[in-house]
Amino acid sequence: MVAMKFIPHLLSWLGIVLVLLRGFPGRRTVVTVAGSAGFAAGLGGAFVFISSTPGDFLFSIIRDLVGGGLLLLWGVSVAAIYRSGVRDFPLSWGERLLSTPLYAGTAALVAGIPAGAICACRLSGTEGNAPAFLLLVLVAVALVFAALAAEKLLPPSVTMSQAGLMAAVVALLIFSSSAILRLDLFSPLTMKVMKFTHDFVHQFFESMLIPDHLFIRDYLWGYIGFLFGKEVGFWGGLFIWFTPVVIVALAVSFERLPSVAHIRRGAERRKIMAAAIRARRIRLVIPVLAAVILAAAVYKSRFPSVEYWDPKPVPVSADPTGEILIPKKGDISLEDGKLHKYLFKQGGREARFFILTTPAGNLTVDLDACAICKPDGYGQAEGTVICYYCKTLIPLETVGKPGGCNPVPIPFTEKADGVHIDGITLINNWGNTVQATTRIKEGGK
Amino acid sequence: MALEIIETSGLTRSYGDICALKPLDLQVPEGEWLSVMGHSGSGKSTLLNLVGGLDRPSAGSLKVGGEDLLVLTEDGLARFRREFVGIIFQQHHLVPYLSAVENVMLAQYFHSVPDEAEARSALERVGLGHRLKNRPGELSGGEQQRVCIARAIINSPKLLLGDEPTGNLDHQSTVMVMELLKELRVEDKFTVVMVTHNQEVAAWGDRTIYLDDGVLVREERMRS
Repeated sequence: MVAMKFIPHLLSWLGIVLVLLRGFPGRRTVVTVAGSAGFAAGLGGAFVFISSTPGDFLFSIIRDLVGGGLLLLWGVSVAAIYRSGVRDFPLSWGERLLSTPLYAGTAALVAGIPAGAICACRLSGTEGNAPAFLLLVLVAVALVFAALAAEKLLPPSVTMSQAGLMAAVVALLIFSSSAILRLDLFSPLTMKVMKFTHDFVHQFFESMLIPDHLFIRDYLWGYIGFLFGKEVGFWGGLFIWFTPVVIVALAVSFERLPSVAHIRRGAERRKIMAAAIRARRIRLVIPVLAAVILAAAVYKSRFPSVEYWDPKPVPVSADPTGEILIPKKGDISLEDGKLHKYLFKQGGREARFFILTTPAGNLTVDLDACAICKPDGYGQAEGTVICYYCKTLIPLETVGKPGGCNPVPIPFTEKADGVHIDGITLINNWGNTVQATTRIKEGGK
Repeated sequence: MALEIIETSGLTRSYGDICALKPLDLQVPEGEWLSVMGHSGSGKSTLLNLVGGLDRPSAGSLKVGGEDLLVLTEDGLARFRREFVGIIFQQHHLVPYLSAVENVMLAQYFHSVPDEAEARSALERVGLGHRLKNRPGELSGGEQQRVCIARAIINSPKLLLGDEPTGNLDHQSTVMVMELLKELRVEDKFTVVMVTHNQEVAAWGDRTIYLDDGVLVREERMRS
C-alpha cells in the first residue's frame, strides 16, 4: 500500500496547518494560500531534484533544514523564557511584526516547503512521476481545507504563544522526517553527541587531565567507560531534543499575568486573573503536545518500521594458501546490490565481513564492523547501510571508503572465478579493529 | 425607574403530582429587599431555589438579571450562580475543618481565584476581623451566620438570597445580622430576596409577599 506510507507526513501537514491557523488568528487566507504554495513548491522542488540528482544530497539538505528548525527553536525558546521573566521587554516592533499578514504568510510558506519536500523524499524511484506529484498536491490542499474546518471546531480558548507555535511546527516536521530513515534526525544527533563526548574525553586523556595513574581506581574507570558508551549519545541527544520545548513550556508558565491593581471590585479583579491563568494553562497544551510528538519521533528513530536486510553470515574457509575464495555467482550473487555476510574462522580466531556491490557497480569487501563502534554489525535499507551500534546511516555510494563509522574496507582481488581475500589479513584486521573498539566500549580500560 | 432584576410569568414547579409552586407572576426591581413569607410547604424555598438557579421550573418563564434561566445549560447555570447570586442558608453549610477565612476563600476559589487579603477584608466588614482563623465549631451561631454573609458577598453578587438566615439565631443575633445585611446592601447595592417565618425579620425588607400552598396570596409594601 503506497498510500499508507504517506500517512505520517500528511497527518503532520494537517497538524502544521491547524497550528498555523490557530496561531495566526484572522490570517486564514494568507496562511492557507502561502502554506499550500510552500508545500507544492517543496514537493515539486524536491521531486525535480531527486529526478535530476540521484544520491544523498537532497536528503542531507532537508535533514539540515529540519535540524536548523530545531536549532532555531532553541534560540526562540531561550528568548521566550527571558522575555517571560523580564518586565517591559522592549520588543514592541517585534510584536507588531508578528501580527502582520506578511509574517503569517512567510511562516506558513517556510513550514510548507520542508513539509512538501519530506513528502517527495517518500517517493521511491519508480513512484516519482508527475501524476504522483499532482495527487500529493491535491491531497495536501484537501487537508488544508480539512484543517480550516477542524480549526473552527476548536474552542476559542485554545490559543498559543509564538514560541509554542514554533515548537509545534518544528516537532511536526521532525516527526514527519523521522518516518524516513535517511531524514531521521535523532540518530545522527545521538551519534554526534557520542562522538563529541568521546573526543572530549580523549582530549582529557591527551592532555593528561585524566592521568593513567595508580590513584585512578577501577570504579572511576567505570564512569569514564560510561562516557564512551552509546548511552551518552542517547541521553545527551534526548537533552538537546527536548530542552527547547521544556523551556517553551516554562516560558508559558512564567508568562506575566495582567495588571489588575486598578480594578476596584475584588470579584472582577479575580475573574480577570482566573481567566488569564486559565488561558495560560491552555497555552501549555501546545508545548506539551510538541514534546509528545518529539517523543514519537524518538521512538520512530529507535524502532524504525524499516526491515533491514541482514543475512545470516555464511561460514567460509581458506584454501591451503590461506586465501578465501567467494564465487560471484552461484547460490549467492555478489552483484545483486545486497549486502552478503560471511564468517571466517581460523585457529580459534574469527572475522565477520560482508561483500556488497554499490549502485555505481563497484564491488567492495568490508569488515562487519567500523573503527569506532562496538562490532554490532551493519544492516541494509533504503540505499544505505546502517551501523546497528550507533544507528549511523552510510550511503551505499560511500561503502568501501575508510574512516568514521564506515565499515573497515579489506583488500581483495577480483578475478573471473570470484573474489579472493587473504585470510590472515582479514583475521588481523578484525582483531585490530575489534580489540580497539570493544575494550573501551565495555566499561573502561 | 429601576430595572426588574427578577421577572417571572406563570412560574411553576411540580414534583410529580405535587405542585409546589403554582403559576406565579412576580417582578422584583433592582435594589429591592423582598421578604417571602408563608407556612411550611407554601413554596417559599422552591421559589428561592428557582430564582437562585439551583432548580429548574416545570413551566413558565424566569428571567434573573436579564438572563433567561430556562435556556441556560448546566454550565451556564453554574456560571450564573457563581457570578450573580450569593446565598445564605439557615444551616450555614460552612466547611467544619476550614477556618472562617478559608471558608470565604473557598467561595472565591469556585468563582475565580482565592485572594486571602480580600477574604480577610470581607470578614472584617462583617465584624469578624478577630475570628479569622477560628473554625465554625469555635464560633457562635451569629458569628457563623456572619461568616456566611461574608462568603455570600465576597464575589459581589447582584442578588443575595437568604433562606431563613436568622432561623437559628436569638433575637440579639438576628438584629445584628439584619443590620449588617442592611448596611452591606447600601454599600454593595445588591438585591435581597429573603425567605422567613419571622414577621419582624420580614419587616426589614421593602416589600413582603405571602405564599400559601404555592400561590401568591398577598403582597405588602413596608413603610420606610
